[in-house]
Amino acid sequence: MTSPDKDMLTIALPKGKLFQPSADLLARFGYTAEGLSENSRKLVIANEAKKIQFVITKPMDLPTYVEYGAADIGIIGKDVLLEEARNVYELLDLNFGLCRLMLAVPAALKREKLSDYAHMRVATKFPRVAEQFFLDHGIQMEIIKLNGSIELAPMVGLAEMIVDIVETGRTLKENNLIEIAHLHRATARFIANRVSFKMKFDRIQPMVEEMRKLLSEGAIG
Amino acid sequence: MAKQEYIPQVPYGTKDILPQDAARKRRVENELARLFLAWGYQEVVTPTFEYHETLKAGAPEESDDSSFRFFDRNGRMLALRPDMTTPIARVAVMRMKDDPLPFRLFYLANVFRQEESQAGRQCEFYQAGVELLGAGGIAADAEVVALAVEALMAAGLTEFQVCLGQVDFIGGIMTEAGLDAQTGQAVKRLLLERNLVGLAELLDECRIDDDIKQLLQQLPMLHGKLELLQQVRERVKNPISQAAIDNLADIYGLLQSYGIDRYVTFDLGIIRDFEYYTGMVFEAYTSGLGYPICGGGRYDRMAGSFGREQPATGFALGIERVLMALERQGLAVESVPQNIYVGWAPGKLTAAIAEVRRLRAKGTQSELALQAQSRLEAETECKRRNCKELLYLD
Repeated sequence: MTSPDKDMLTIALPKGKLFQPSADLLARFGYTAEGLSENSRKLVIANEAKKIQFVITKPMDLPTYVEYGAADIGIIGKDVLLEEARNVYELLDLNFGLCRLMLAVPAALKREKLSDYAHMRVATKFPRVAEQFFLDHGIQMEIIKLNGSIELAPMVGLAEMIVDIVETGRTLKENNLIEIAHLHRATARFIANRVSFKMKFDRIQPMVEEMRKLLSEGAIG
Repeated sequence: MAKQEYIPQVPYGTKDILPQDAARKRRVENELARLFLAWGYQEVVTPTFEYHETLKAGAPEESDDSSFRFFDRNGRMLALRPDMTTPIARVAVMRMKDDPLPFRLFYLANVFRQEESQAGRQCEFYQAGVELLGAGGIAADAEVVALAVEALMAAGLTEFQVCLGQVDFIGGIMTEAGLDAQTGQAVKRLLLERNLVGLAELLDECRIDDDIKQLLQQLPMLHGKLELLQQVRERVKNPISQAAIDNLADIYGLLQSYGIDRYVTFDLGIIRDFEYYTGMVFEAYTSGLGYPICGGGRYDRMAGSFGREQPATGFALGIERVLMALERQGLAVESVPQNIYVGWAPGKLTAAIAEVRRLRAKGTQSELALQAQSRLEAETECKRRNCKELLYLD
């Protein structure tokens, strides 16, 4: 559902590490609102003068808000887009929030080839991406969906391996995990609802162009 | 031990339409049927399920088969119809082959798709649509687009946008780019997924002309009025894409004659099934709904899968989506109490029956009390049943 006020542009931002850089980026060309913060108690934060409103969602839910048109546009990581596979326009790679989706095992379990890991249990927040990766490599695995603290799973014997996102690799080291395969590189993306992109083309398209300009000047990221 | 009470459920993706919503649905469907008839279209009704191979023959080859399938007692696979276009193409080829072309056919039907529910689209959902079979050319295309606009208005919508595109435009550019088959498929898939980032990355790896690369990347942004067509016409060099643009401009000219051009925008990046559509395509959008409410276009190849080539164009609109949009835009017609409640004192049932017969013959909706009541009881019951007024016989 787009906002009943057809002139209002609804922007979805994800909680977590992408929130601040996303809010800062939009603010650079005037898309901001008073009290816009990750911990805002208000669920919808509007800027009436600019005819925009923000909703702040859990990252995994954000593509759903945009697909249904509850939000017109949003900024979200490619990792989440891959996992959710929602029908939305992926308009721009914003080049920040770089991380990678990878497969890791405890050092003691390291084997020679990927196929040596067949039939092990894999804990992940990204079951669809993991499933696809193993399918592509012709390996059958048992996938266990978790909602966070994935690196805990191998320590207590819930799973042998994990598919997770890493930025620096520090958490892996601390937990004595070794990366054995790279699945995807992920950065923040600018997305739009398929109808909003057409109905509100005159508002969304200039945003795309402005961001593209900033990107080409190397001013984002 | 007490017997466990049975709690009924309805299957995932289905729903009951209760009286108030059913009345709204009926009202919209009646308006649409009236409109389609006025445009010379005739209704067809086809079986709810068909042989799976029939539906498969009409469907695009690569499409995910989301149909509900089951077997008859001879072990042949059946499927609930996932849309009405294939059954109608079958009927036209099988049953109407000696009738004079073109056929103008319409339908109001439920269709079934086994997929995750979307806004205004459960696994079973209702469609209204038309198919204009046996006519190529811009007059047929313009008629279908104009009728779609009239249909949205007849349904009660006031603000909506119809975006018009042409699959040959993209096809021409792809041919001109000289991409190998595999890359071409990948480009189409990325376009279908609306993944412009992936598209840009892929095109950067291809060695193709810069102008064409830019055009492909900008496809989804090629959105605008008549000036857009002129601008793009100057940028493309291949005759297929040029012809596609001229085709759209010609259709637009006719839409002006129909007086509905203000609802129409061009969108050369409209992405509908590439294998299925063969010319003009369109989608309609309205605010308050994140999905298209209506879509269609020209599909000249489909009847060929049933043994007779024939040009075809048509559209389908989602009834639930229209109803949802009306509601969200505050345009839903409130249902007002219509019924007259006919109550009666002991011994007056015969007179009451005479009275309701008289009312019904005039077309006045009336409910007959099923047992004797005092006037006071009848008044209370009339209110409780939300009837318009009471007629009491004593």
